[in-house]
Amino acid sequence: MTAYLTETPPAAARPKAAVKRRARRKTRQWLVGYAFIAPAVVLFLVMGLYTLGYSVTLSFAKWNGFSPSWDWVGLKNYHDLLYADPRLAPEVQRAALNTGVAMVAVSAGTVLIALPLAVLLNSIRRLRGLLRSVYFLPYVTTGIAVYYAWRYVLEPDGAINLALRSIGLGSLARPQGFLGDPDTALPALIVVMIWGSVPVAMLLYLAGLQAIDPSLMEAAAMDGAGTVRRVRHITWPLLVPITVAIVLLSLRDTMQGFQIFLIMTNGGPAGHTEVLGLKAYQQAFMQSMSPTLGVASALGWLIFVAALLLAVLNARLLRGTR
Amino acid sequence: MRAGTRPSAGMVVAYLALAVYAAISLYPFAWMVSGAFKNRLEILEGGNLIPRSPTLDTLVDTWGRLNFFDYFLNSLKVTGLTVLGVLVVYSLASYAFAMIEFPGRRAIFWFFVALLFVPSITVLLPLTILESRLGILGTHIGLVLPFVNGTAPLTVLLLTNAFRAIPRELHDAARADGAGEVRIFLRVYLPLVRPTLITVAVLTAVPTWNEYPLSRVSLNEESRYTLPLALEQLASGNVPSYNEIMAGSLILVVPVIVLFLALQRYFVNGLSGAVKE
Repeated sequence: MTAYLTETPPAAARPKAAVKRRARRKTRQWLVGYAFIAPAVVLFLVMGLYTLGYSVTLSFAKWNGFSPSWDWVGLKNYHDLLYADPRLAPEVQRAALNTGVAMVAVSAGTVLIALPLAVLLNSIRRLRGLLRSVYFLPYVTTGIAVYYAWRYVLEPDGAINLALRSIGLGSLARPQGFLGDPDTALPALIVVMIWGSVPVAMLLYLAGLQAIDPSLMEAAAMDGAGTVRRVRHITWPLLVPITVAIVLLSLRDTMQGFQIFLIMTNGGPAGHTEVLGLKAYQQAFMQSMSPTLGVASALGWLIFVAALLLAVLNARLLRGTR
Repeated sequence: MRAGTRPSAGMVVAYLALAVYAAISLYPFAWMVSGAFKNRLEILEGGNLIPRSPTLDTLVDTWGRLNFFDYFLNSLKVTGLTVLGVLVVYSLASYAFAMIEFPGRRAIFWFFVALLFVPSITVLLPLTILESRLGILGTHIGLVLPFVNGTAPLTVLLLTNAFRAIPRELHDAARADGAGEVRIFLRVYLPLVRPTLITVAVLTAVPTWNEYPLSRVSLNEESRYTLPLALEQLASGNVPSYNEIMAGSLILVVPVIVLFLALQRYFVNGLSGAVKE
């Protein structure tokens, strides 16, 4: 501003006009900016903010989706879900337990498979590209088609049972199929979820490993650092933040994901694979006339709060490791 | 291994382990293909991976008589429109976030990104209620709009970073030449972020193609079904037959696999970029 003023000698009349012109140009620029973001904002206001607001409001009411008015019940839906309702609360607790088990098992399994896989893949030259593509297929195809393929092989007469019998491990086979047996249904789903989340984790580890400067490793080796020390002081510190990111990513995905449960078991057998997301889905869409929409919304928000806590934890941990 | 150089024992073990996991990765696909080429009788026996008498009939039947061709076109339409919408809406918005000064810019940007943490199940129900009021529930547009909105956090993040990575001098020079923002955006900046646009397109296309929950609760007319819904209908029939289900599954996954193999590098860049944020 000051530079501009000193550059224009006839100081009396010009500055006012210049300031005005600048202000006008600035307003114009703002308008252009708003015009650029307008489609995104409008779409968000309609599809996002409205639905979020509606969902919050509905979580304080009882409604069956058809009657003209809502019955306001305050925090009752939340109380019912957490402890008050003798039928609903135990179901929610069980679903929360299953969700928790799946979250821990999937993230642990993902790290335990993806890390060695990435290290091995990084150590070879031939076929690396091909193998990486093969390992990545589960990620791009994750969805209903793959879930049906898994259901097919996990059936009572499916490939896995037959394979176990043919190699003399018939005692491990499950006559009701792995998804029909209460003891194996949740573990089987966890295995499928790990199978689906290894690709991205492996990719991130691989990217991290490739970012390590080879000359750093060579220098360390020349200074007499053995493999163990090199891994401990060079490789591991680099992999810690990646591991934190992978764990939190798969915790979040497992907590929110219910598609695989909906398609492969729908919570069965006898509620052994009930999870929170599926519970919310059932309360919202499978209760026909009973007034459970408020409860469904409340459960949706409880899941949201849990997701938010994870996100905060995520930010904290990542800051700590950097 | 080249002749003459003996592979070390460590290398053999490494390749063996890698091969085992490759087999695990491909396992359900192998059975998907196997099932799709079996006939109605052989599928009941299970067991053999290689069909005794491989037949194309199941695939042809699923594609034609079971209308999978129509569902394929529906899926193509929904996915295509979603990708187009995402590219247009968020390249404009991200350009503004990166290059144009206006009040509230940072706040609105972070607002979009924060939406990453809203689970889809939380908004699924109100979304269907809203759409039935707007009269678009059960239409393809009724799917496309929330799909586009759902990609906002990740897309805005990736594209804004891409625009920011371009030297600002380019913008100022074009300005000095008298070009307006729209022109600079279209002629200068959009071509420069092409790789990111492709990344965004593939990262949008794949989950949209596979999407099931929202489609399930909104589409009710069979003629509008997308492939995931058609597959579910096939599987929930009275006498579901796994050879048809596997044929349908194969029809669903093959386009995604082809897309992935063709544009692999963009997937890799996009995913590592997304997680770094």
